[in-house]
Amino acid sequence: MKKLVSAPALFAYAGALLVAGLLLGFYYAPTDASSMGYSQKIFYYHAPIAETALVAFGIAFVAAILYLRDPQPKWDRLGYASVRLGLLFSLLVMATGMIWGKAAWDAWWAWEPRLTTFLIVCFLYAAYFVLRQVVEEESRRATFAAVFAIVAFIDVPITFFAIRFMPEGLHPAVITATDTGMEGSMFLSFVISMAGMTLLLVALLRADVAAERLRDEIADLKTRIGG
Amino acid sequence: MGRQFLAILRKDLIRELRTREMLVSMFLFVMLALVIFHYAFGVDDEADLTSLTGGMLWVTFVFAVLLGLNRSFAQEKDEQCLDGLLLCPVDRVTIFLAKAAGNLVFLLIIQAVSVPVFTLFFVERSYLPDLGLFILVLLLADLGICTLGTLLATISMNTRARDLLLPIVFLPLIVPVLIAATSATTAIFAEGADLGALLGRLGFLAAFDAVFLVAAYGTYDFAIGE
Repeated sequence: MKKLVSAPALFAYAGALLVAGLLLGFYYAPTDASSMGYSQKIFYYHAPIAETALVAFGIAFVAAILYLRDPQPKWDRLGYASVRLGLLFSLLVMATGMIWGKAAWDAWWAWEPRLTTFLIVCFLYAAYFVLRQVVEEESRRATFAAVFAIVAFIDVPITFFAIRFMPEGLHPAVITATDTGMEGSMFLSFVISMAGMTLLLVALLRADVAAERLRDEIADLKTRIGG
Repeated sequence: MGRQFLAILRKDLIRELRTREMLVSMFLFVMLALVIFHYAFGVDDEADLTSLTGGMLWVTFVFAVLLGLNRSFAQEKDEQCLDGLLLCPVDRVTIFLAKAAGNLVFLLIIQAVSVPVFTLFFVERSYLPDLGLFILVLLLADLGICTLGTLLATISMNTRARDLLLPIVFLPLIVPVLIAATSATTAIFAEGADLGALLGRLGFLAAFDAVFLVAAYGTYDFAIGE
């Protein structure tokens, strides 16, 4: 059992699902009937990446609350790793979004609500790293980072909502409350990609947290031998 | 709690009214920004800047607030006043509320002097009938700005970077307020929007204030340090 959820196994599952999602998206799901045509295929990566980024920030939010309730270094490590991966995925959202935007609207950049939200999210969580950088004392750094992670995560949906006050955007609203807006085959490809991406996040997160823990242990040992 | 709140607020107001250093620099900053905006956007005398007015006003206020927030905690920190304050048997949340209220008062003072000048410079239509609505937008947006600003200023003054950190953490978080306040203000200046049209934005600003008041209430203990 332990072997089935080991770090390499998780990476293997994630990789298999992502490849399967990609193949299904290209060969099983039909080409989009609207003007987007073939460029819509990037959706099977773009949307799962976006979802995964938000999941990562959500994990950081929960870890931050846990840290403030019970200040253990493991919660700080989890929060730090989550924000780092969340930011990485957000940058990928921007990159894939821009590629899609170029194909669909013939513009590398459009001030479209979701894309703009992710731009602001990138700035928001980049600030998280600046904040960590300028606090030397460890427990204080973790505490401030946790407070910021909480406030930042609350701000994400609010920002998205606020951008709606601006004139209408271009983003295709694919999934609404009542309708997935996709054919069965498209939805299947999408769900498989999403599962793969989420698993990838979990695998990366585990590896990252483990690496952080080792780093802390080394630092601890160094101080003990007076280095 | 009420008496302690008033005592801290009174201390901040008295100190500022004696030195006036924060208010004077904030006021001069706002005025200079308006002059710069005139030359940056008003390419000729005929140019109609109405669609930019909300943006100009709120960008100026947000940057002016950054000046004020940094000052309001730099003094506390430099003279070890904050340590004294923390030693008092006062709830940390009371300190937060008093500091936020102080910052709000300073921002309102700055706005009370600069909005008439701004109107004189840039607004061509008389918005007197909508003045109440405009003041409501100001109050709701200011409350959000000061709540979040005070929380983040407390964190930044406890770091090595201090005033360098504040804009970087504060600006991305305040974008929603900026968007709602800007579009509401431009609407009022341009065509005199009625309450119904602005209700969504006003409600949004009020919700933002409420959410971050609660968030700051819950986290301020940690932000102010031991």
